[in-house]
Amino acid sequence: MLKKIFIIVSKDLKIDFSQGHLFFSVALYLVSSIFVVYLSFGPVGIKDLSTWVSLFWVLILFGSITSISNSFLHESKKRDYYYYFLLSSTELIFSKLLYNFLYLIILCFIAFGFYSLLIGSFIESYLFFYFILVVGSLSISNCLTLVSAISYQVRNNSTIMSVLSFPIILPILLILIKITKISALNFSWNLVQDDIYLLILLNVITLSLSKILFSYLWRN
Amino acid sequence: MKWIKIICVFLLGYVTIAGFLLDVPALPILNEAIRVLFFHVPMWFTMIFLLFMSAINSYYYISKGRINYDIKSNEYANVGVFFGMLGIISGMLWAKFTWGTYWTNDPKLNGSALGLLIYFSYFILRGSIKDELKKAKISSVYNIFAFAMLIPLIFILPRMTDSLHPGNGGNPGFNVYDMNSQLRIVFYPSVIGFILLGIWITNMRVRIKFLNK
Repeated sequence: MLKKIFIIVSKDLKIDFSQGHLFFSVALYLVSSIFVVYLSFGPVGIKDLSTWVSLFWVLILFGSITSISNSFLHESKKRDYYYYFLLSSTELIFSKLLYNFLYLIILCFIAFGFYSLLIGSFIESYLFFYFILVVGSLSISNCLTLVSAISYQVRNNSTIMSVLSFPIILPILLILIKITKISALNFSWNLVQDDIYLLILLNVITLSLSKILFSYLWRN
Repeated sequence: MKWIKIICVFLLGYVTIAGFLLDVPALPILNEAIRVLFFHVPMWFTMIFLLFMSAINSYYYISKGRINYDIKSNEYANVGVFFGMLGIISGMLWAKFTWGTYWTNDPKLNGSALGLLIYFSYFILRGSIKDELKKAKISSVYNIFAFAMLIPLIFILPRMTDSLHPGNGGNPGFNVYDMNSQLRIVFYPSVIGFILLGIWITNMRVRIKFLNK
């Protein structure tokens, strides 16, 4: 099972690298929206922690919705049947989850690098912030992969995807914003403990529901 | 079903009369506005109950595949969202008279508004698929997923931050000192009565849908 998952993930990565524009279009989308933020805040820049954190995560949210909505899109209709004979639904959803997770980590780090380059960084404890980036991309990908499968079935992608995912992703996004604000000040484990536990709980829920519900969604 | 209707009419009749006529404790800012409690809070209880029933029916649909469950789940969601709207409107009126504004940046308010947004997008999803079976399956999947994300939004997140609502930063369900016992004798019948009313309305709508088919 693990082997099959890795094969699918590496196939997707190969497609991405050979076509190139798929990854770079999303990266360019993020970079240009960061540039828009930079220009619109003018010569002064962002002087306020909460604005910095919320804008950062909103940018990540938009970038991730654009990238994850593509995750099922470059499967052609005929390949659906091929997968249907070859893989179980669990293998397929986990490979997509892993692929989206890797994708989002790279996007998050690119976004953070560019964001801190242009706008400056308020972060004090970098190690914890990188941990938040990894956990954040994990939870966002867990939450949005099933939604992207749903919007792939509807085949009305761009609007349906964003309409369905915004209200659902919000609890995760709120927790991420909250703990990022803490990481910018004096970090201590006691301050973030509850939120981290809640985030783990949400991840368990989204992961298990994705596994269970996708099998019904896939069975056409 | 017959007993549900009789109990519902009896309880809601009692609540309407007692809620307006019985003595309530006079508190500085609240004054008589506390009576909204009998109608505002049960709306949320009813909404959560109906949305839970909707998620259960969605689960039955995807596991058993009978279209009746999907019709039921859709109607439960419809009526649940209707009660949610009533809850928001009554809450806004209450907030105007006690907090001085219709809308504040309170985690519970935002959570409930988001919960309604989730179900509006559920209706949009239903509207955008033509094929009946496909619509039923996809919207059931989304319904279950959405309900699972609604729970932290309404029950967990507000309790981790400060709120204007009573009973946050703890579990309000087990707090004995939150509510006067004078209020309880109207409040609990009101909760049960409105939940029964929700079931009754849904049942009627489902039967109309069945007849139309």
